[in-house]
Amino acid sequence: MTATSEQIRRVKVRPNYDHIAWKWMRYSAVLLIPLVWFHLILQDVIVGVHAMDLDYVAQRWANIGWRVYDALLLGFAMAHGMNGVRQVANDFIKGERARTIMSWALFIFWLAITAIGAAALIGGVRQDFPLN
Amino acid sequence: MSTLKTTLTGYTGYRGREGHYAFLLHRITGLGTVLFLVIHIIDIALVYLSPKGFLDVIALYQTTLFGIGEIALVFCVFFHGINGLRIAYFDMLKPANWSIETERKSTRITLIATLILWLPATFFMARNILIHNYGLFGG
Repeated sequence: MTATSEQIRRVKVRPNYDHIAWKWMRYSAVLLIPLVWFHLILQDVIVGVHAMDLDYVAQRWANIGWRVYDALLLGFAMAHGMNGVRQVANDFIKGERARTIMSWALFIFWLAITAIGAAALIGGVRQDFPLN
Repeated sequence: MSTLKTTLTGYTGYRGREGHYAFLLHRITGLGTVLFLVIHIIDIALVYLSPKGFLDVIALYQTTLFGIGEIALVFCVFFHGINGLRIAYFDMLKPANWSIETERKSTRITLIATLILWLPATFFMARNILIHNYGLFGG
């Protein structure tokens, strides 16, 4: 080989799972910024934790729009977060087998926490005891 | 065990200045946020699972210690968001920006933007704590 070619070779690689996960982190991030920041500024800064009680949650969730909003938060933030934890864990766990176990453990954890959140979102506030 | 040591040595030993700090802060703020996210999903789920427990958790969140944690959480979310936007923008649209010079400049801008968002938020949250927990400002 004496001559070098200036021509750029373009190769189409079929995306694997990690490629899709890599893109997902970036796309979900763009969506999460308005969702999470608005949630944070409204609940932590404007309303404040001292104004939180069961009535507040019940009134908020009486509006279906807020339930959809919270469902989006739950779905996107938790999935983004768990994939992030998986990426950090990949730095510390090197074995193929250990990584598979870690990924499945995180997936089951994600499923369980999301299910708990979804149950509350659907069930709503249970005020079946005398308040105050 | 050696993997843990190798990775941690790599995390701390690498001297890449701004880009390195941005990487570390992105991880720390991300892990901090996801830790609270899991706790937060469970505490909100208590309104359905155990309303009495929900009130106990809220009382705990209203303490000064958790208030300071809340202020830290807001920093984590703002920094992780802005830095994440920077990463997404470079990766998807401007891969040529992954150079040492742009990295240093953009990290500084990220930090300044984070402070611009975080400091006013901190003011209001700290004021809330002082009003409700210490009776200041006419609380």
